[in-house]
Amino acid sequence: MTWIGLPAPPSQLNSSPVGVFPSLPPSHSGVPSTSPPRSLLVGPGWGGPPFAASHSCLPSSAETEAEVEASGYSFAAVYDGPPLPYSLPRALPIDVECIPFAALAPVTAGPVSLPVVDPLPAPKKPTPILSSASPTSVIGNHAAVAAAPDSDTLGSDGSREILSSETADVSGTVGFSDELGGAHDRLSTESPLSSHASTFRSCASEIEEDDESSDTPDRRATIVTFQESGQSNYSTSPAVGATPVANSEGLRIKKGACYCCLRGNRFTEKESCLACGAKYCGRCVLTAMGMGSMPEGRKCISCIGSPILESNRERLGKSSRLLKRLLSDLEIELLMEAEKNCESNQLRPEDIRVNGKSLNLEEMFLLQSCPCPPPKLKPGYYWYDKLSGYWGKEGHKPNSIITAHLNVGGHLKVNASKGNTGIQINGREITKVEMKMLKLSGVPCAGNPHYWLSADGTYMEEGQKNVKGKIWGKRHMKLLFPLLSLPFPSKNSKCCEEVNNFMKRPLPDNLNKKAIQKLLLIGSDGSGATTVFKQAKLFYGLSFSEKECQDIKIMIQTSIYRDLALLLECREWFEEEILTERRGNMQFDSSGDETDFSLVPQLKSFADWLLKVIASGKFEAIFPASSREYATLVRELWKDSAIQATYKRRSELQLLPAIRSYFLERVIDISRDNYEPSNVDIINADGINCSNGIASTELQLPCTGSSIDDHEQLQTISRYQLIRGPYKGTGENCKWLDMFEDARMVIFCIALTDYDEYYKDTSDAVINKMIESRRLFESIVSHPTFEEKDFLLILSKFDLFEQKLDITPLSSCEWFDNFHPLVSRCPPQRNNTSCSGTREATKAEQAFHYVAKEFKTLFQSITGRKLYVTHANGLDSDSVNATLQYAREIIYWTEEWSLGGGNVESMYSTEPSSTSHSLLTEKNA
Amino acid sequence: MSFPELKERHAAATATVNSLRERLKQRRQQLLDTDVANYTRTQGRTAVNFSSTDLVCCRTLQGHTGKVYSLDWTSERNRIVSASQDGRLIIWNALTSQKTHAIKLPCAWVMTCAFAPNGHSISCGGLDSACSIFNLNSQVDRDGNIPVSQVLMGHKGYVSSCQYFPDRESHLVTSSGDQTCVLWDVTTGQRISIFGGEFPSGHTSDVLSVSVSSSNSNMFVSGSCDATARLWDARIASRAIRTYNGHQGDVNTVKFFPDGQRFGTGSDDGMCRLFDMRTGHLLQVYAQQHNNNEPDFPMVTSIAFSISGRLLFAGYSNGDCYVWDTLLAEVVLNLGKLQSSHEGRISCLGLSDDGSALCTGSWDKNLKIWAFGGLRKVI
Repeated sequence: MTWIGLPAPPSQLNSSPVGVFPSLPPSHSGVPSTSPPRSLLVGPGWGGPPFAASHSCLPSSAETEAEVEASGYSFAAVYDGPPLPYSLPRALPIDVECIPFAALAPVTAGPVSLPVVDPLPAPKKPTPILSSASPTSVIGNHAAVAAAPDSDTLGSDGSREILSSETADVSGTVGFSDELGGAHDRLSTESPLSSHASTFRSCASEIEEDDESSDTPDRRATIVTFQESGQSNYSTSPAVGATPVANSEGLRIKKGACYCCLRGNRFTEKESCLACGAKYCGRCVLTAMGMGSMPEGRKCISCIGSPILESNRERLGKSSRLLKRLLSDLEIELLMEAEKNCESNQLRPEDIRVNGKSLNLEEMFLLQSCPCPPPKLKPGYYWYDKLSGYWGKEGHKPNSIITAHLNVGGHLKVNASKGNTGIQINGREITKVEMKMLKLSGVPCAGNPHYWLSADGTYMEEGQKNVKGKIWGKRHMKLLFPLLSLPFPSKNSKCCEEVNNFMKRPLPDNLNKKAIQKLLLIGSDGSGATTVFKQAKLFYGLSFSEKECQDIKIMIQTSIYRDLALLLECREWFEEEILTERRGNMQFDSSGDETDFSLVPQLKSFADWLLKVIASGKFEAIFPASSREYATLVRELWKDSAIQATYKRRSELQLLPAIRSYFLERVIDISRDNYEPSNVDIINADGINCSNGIASTELQLPCTGSSIDDHEQLQTISRYQLIRGPYKGTGENCKWLDMFEDARMVIFCIALTDYDEYYKDTSDAVINKMIESRRLFESIVSHPTFEEKDFLLILSKFDLFEQKLDITPLSSCEWFDNFHPLVSRCPPQRNNTSCSGTREATKAEQAFHYVAKEFKTLFQSITGRKLYVTHANGLDSDSVNATLQYAREIIYWTEEWSLGGGNVESMYSTEPSSTSHSLLTEKNA
Repeated sequence: MSFPELKERHAAATATVNSLRERLKQRRQQLLDTDVANYTRTQGRTAVNFSSTDLVCCRTLQGHTGKVYSLDWTSERNRIVSASQDGRLIIWNALTSQKTHAIKLPCAWVMTCAFAPNGHSISCGGLDSACSIFNLNSQVDRDGNIPVSQVLMGHKGYVSSCQYFPDRESHLVTSSGDQTCVLWDVTTGQRISIFGGEFPSGHTSDVLSVSVSSSNSNMFVSGSCDATARLWDARIASRAIRTYNGHQGDVNTVKFFPDGQRFGTGSDDGMCRLFDMRTGHLLQVYAQQHNNNEPDFPMVTSIAFSISGRLLFAGYSNGDCYVWDTLLAEVVLNLGKLQSSHEGRISCLGLSDDGSALCTGSWDKNLKIWAFGGLRKVI
């Protein structure tokens, strides 16, 4: 533990610049001096007088603590914050013996000319005690230090007083001790960076405080700024308004120095706050601007919520070198996005007045999203000629020609551009420059005519119907307009029809949320959701990290033991079976106990041990740790003929899933120490990580649809985050689903093969897995969090389903007992020709359609919306990719649909899918 | 013994247990001669009286960009750690409302966070089924993030809550969606003991909350989706000391009473209850009158007691935050109806260690600190 002094200019002790608290107040001067019981919600720290409940008694420790806290500033604060990266000057204990005495001057000496020190000009403030004696000076400075925390904050106390005096007359003093706590706290809890800065400053001041009194205002100023950011938050409303600007102006900060640590000069690289312009150096910027989670971009903490300076609008969303050095690329990207798109950084519509009327949000949106928006829009007064599209500042000539016929602002006034020519265009008196233009373009200007000018440049006289000509028609005009610094219509403005129907237009950047679209993948254990996830991850070129590989390796190696144990168990059964059979035939056969399924004694002991471990439920305690030890035994066991014989009869084993044989056959490789799981191994393995936690990956689904033109293609390359939800606890009382409120789509996985599989729940009831999946599906779909979400149902394991259908009919599941597949009698050739390439649906496809239809009906009855269904085979990467493409298309399509209303339907088919899925999925719609 | 025979005996035993439980309940009811509220009234006490200006929001901690899910105060200093769905932990200085650290988490879906008693390290857990420990003193890496100093792996479901033992720096208890609570040694990262799970007296559904007694730190209580709260002795993992029934919904939150002899629970059924640890009695029910035709009654998300225990703060899913008089079971104030209150669901509550301030975290991405603002004298 280090003791750090908190030195400050001692001169501030008695004459604080604010002068509210000339001396240190006694602790809790506003309350009865007998230990104040702070029982309920009490404390000096929160700007209110304490009170207590009648039956409470205060623990004595708290009382003393309060006293310590109150008197704590008399010396120094215990520093137990983050370690400091530099060494601190230590206060050495004073050895009284060693204090040098000034020996008396010998009297014998004659009139010697002693060096005389000129008296210093009378100091304005009392000088510190004992600032001259060298060994004691440390102590002396510490005494001076005593005042540091409070004198630091004096600057802000004034405003604090004003704030709190409304509620309580004593709050001033209470607030004072509060400040103290704050100061203590601040010192010790700052990030290493900023505490470095402040303590460094204090060390320096120890040395310099005497002769550098000119520097003190500056130094104080820093501390005030520092406090400032917290101070402004004292007000209960988050919007601080204009205060930050005023504050920073009020301070005298050395030109070019960082506003936070007060160091550096104008050449050091700095980042400035968008709202108040305060500049921070690289060391302080993250602290001052909110520790890297800047919700509104580069703004001081106190400026969050306040509008940015207009001069900084250009900088919005443009990163600087300094930030690039401090943050990672992804963080910068997110930060800049936040900066550009966050609400308080936008132009506020009420700041823009067009034709004397403030805009509202819709008009603002219209104005910014039109094909020719006004360039460099800033708050101010504007006029807008709706007919011709002329746009200019109030009292000035037109500045540009924007899209005409926008429903923006009020009516154009005659004196909008303060013209005095008497000539009017669209009811606006034009300026002299414009008149010149009219003359040059051959428009008669005699007699102060009034013209109607339309957006395409045709003009007519007021009250008449015939078009007189085109202003912009002549070629030389193009050169002329810039000469008179008058706007000339750009090409785009010609397509000004139906601009008010802004739905068709691409959204402006800040409104088009191109953030990551989250796809939540949910499915119970064994539904294939994890396989889909892994397949997606691999397909889009993302490999598994080393740690994930390691996890999967451990998982595979551990699961091998489980599988082996299963085999061993079965081996016992088979052995038993054969032995009983033999015993039945004992009378004529006495070949002993040897069977094909007998183990060698050495392996037998291992096998027994393994079975015992599994039976006792300690498997998990032993296994990932010691799987390596038994690797050799596993290899021998696998080579043993008994196991091989059992393995050959694996089709008789219900318990061994088909997929496990993939690993069992490679057990020799897998049990090796240097085994590296291949991608195929990873896909075949059960989970992603050992803890059954959540997993997520980011995908960039490229656009493949041919029906989409180039322009929209740019838009649709968006990022998706595929999240595999936790396996367990997806029941009805699921507590974490509301975390995925922002998911764009829920992808629900159900294995098609579930229809004839059963499991036993806790009460020993045998439940069909498909029925269980349905229950889970219902509970997820009806969860309030997902009320408005799109759902995509993936019916996975289609390949196994195909095989299984031949053995067990789909109607073996009670839910599907109504399924009667149609057997087509038509020869396939005829079908091919008649139905434009649609081949006859196979039995599996028909069954799939039936299951999909059942789910769709279920979904419709719960939500009243449409469920999207597709099938997939997790082990086939193409099928998974097609599924993801389908998901992307659904998102794209529903977005278009919600934006464009009915309009889109004419452009696209109502079905989102143009791929082969439509064949399978939409038949049952 | 054959299988059906075993089954029969199991059913018989279950029936016996249930009848015994019923008898216990009846007996309890008989012995209950008075309830807390009535007794308090006969003693002439009245409910704490608050006007709307007595408790004011004096700080708003802004900076999270996602829903706040959890917060915790340090024991000695006025610092707060908050966990949010933006994937960050932020450490605030509550007095100045400044951030002192922002920790980016490897897994954004965080549900809980807690300060170690020494205030130097932080634990958090969430859907990644692991509890991560961050040491605030460790060096930041190149991107300015504080690296994870320890990951406690072993849960098979999400980590819903974690708390350090107040007098043991290295011991941490977590509750999880895998129906267990686990006591960890933080320094080694090993599980010391697992509460529940295969043992029959454990929770039968996701454990959502855990609270360690402040007076006897071997005791902790857990609340679960099985609508019960269970009391555990940290030294005995094999069985729960006591099970507290009464709620009709998931017990979202449990919190020890300041004296360590009682604890409060908050549940999805919209009620808070106060249980006596030693007798097992239900002392008090804190329920707002709501008509049954209205299905959307608010759920209790989080509770906290004032230092004296006279006040119970309860956050509800509709953004209300009631201040209950614990003795009389009356609502004395609703922070949700005050000016400058939260706009979203209140997800977490916490009282500072000296009891001087209350911090609330909400789904509106903000945290607010409430303290006394008026000229309030001693009650």
